[in-house]
Amino acid sequence: MSAHRTDAEATIEREMRVTYGDAPKTLRDEPLAEMSWQMLGDSFLLRGEGHHYFHYRKGEGITVDRGPDADLSEESLWLDGSVYAAVASINGLLPIHASAVAHNGLVFAFTGPAGAGKSTLVAALGKLGLPMFCDDTLVLDLSDPARIVCLPGHKRLKLRPDAVNLTGTTPLEAVSKTVDKVYASPSGGDVSDSLPLGELVFLEEGDQAVIEPIIGAERFVRTEDDHQNAWLFAGARRLDPLAQFAHRARLAQQIRMARFSRPMDPSRFQVGVALAAKYVRNGAQQ
Amino acid sequence: MTALAKLTDRFTEADIDSEIVIMRLDNGEFFSLSGTSAAIWRLIDGGRNRDDLLAALSDQFDGTGGEIGRDLDVFLRELRETGLLAE
Repeated sequence: MSAHRTDAEATIEREMRVTYGDAPKTLRDEPLAEMSWQMLGDSFLLRGEGHHYFHYRKGEGITVDRGPDADLSEESLWLDGSVYAAVASINGLLPIHASAVAHNGLVFAFTGPAGAGKSTLVAALGKLGLPMFCDDTLVLDLSDPARIVCLPGHKRLKLRPDAVNLTGTTPLEAVSKTVDKVYASPSGGDVSDSLPLGELVFLEEGDQAVIEPIIGAERFVRTEDDHQNAWLFAGARRLDPLAQFAHRARLAQQIRMARFSRPMDPSRFQVGVALAAKYVRNGAQQ
Repeated sequence: MTALAKLTDRFTEADIDSEIVIMRLDNGEFFSLSGTSAAIWRLIDGGRNRDDLLAALSDQFDGTGGEIGRDLDVFLRELRETGLLAE
């Protein structure tokens, strides 16, 4: 339980409340295809497989409409994934595709494309005593112009079977029937307070394990994100090019960034993990 | 010699560390400036002319006046060609 809930925490908790019932089947003139979403004003509609709809309208929470063919094992994935990111975006919060640990009152987030090793690294850092802050989606509160704050939540760690073995994490139940991942308890525990973002680290593959700061205009370039979370934010905020530039410039100016290159060879995995743990414990670039 | 002026209604810019990112408003094209080019960009204030810039740059950077002048002229031409600097 967080000692003091911020306005953003209260907003996301209130807006993520779920009820079950009838949901609209489209927000536009055309029908909504399976595994796709629509956003219109302050409303969001996602369709899973078959008759499985997730409708959100600002101020009204989420309505889940389950038909007989809905795959319930997928439901929490939709709610914790795209729906969570859409609700955050519609409420002015920025979801980014990252997993994170916390140390000394700061969040150290690791980002990269699917398969880059975000969750695996966070699980391994947990084994070294660094508590998890989030897995897969990190929500940023931009309301304070002076700093960027990370919202806690989205805690369940999901790992592929090879990552369970690699990190020595104890597996829990399967994530769903179709996703080859299991839930796992973070070995280092987790954090439930909002914390400032300390650093955003981009995971890359390289011959040697090395962490280098990203400086200057490259930070601006790195704010361009082709992940669905960025599309949801862009759709929700409807920023014109000038506002989009200002948004990206602010992120580039206020977020310390680094690249973490390391071999993807499992036999050298722990070398990279040790380097990342040392980097975080030293306060990264501070 | 006339003062050099940016066409400020045609772009927006942001400082990121010591570098500058510029976006043209008409087509969304981005530019990044660092080192000498960032220094030149910062010196263009609507009051200084080409020789004023050259003098200021000679104080900041190593190199002969001829070398710095050539770099300056190339960069000013690029700025005019991209529509960021008045003719």
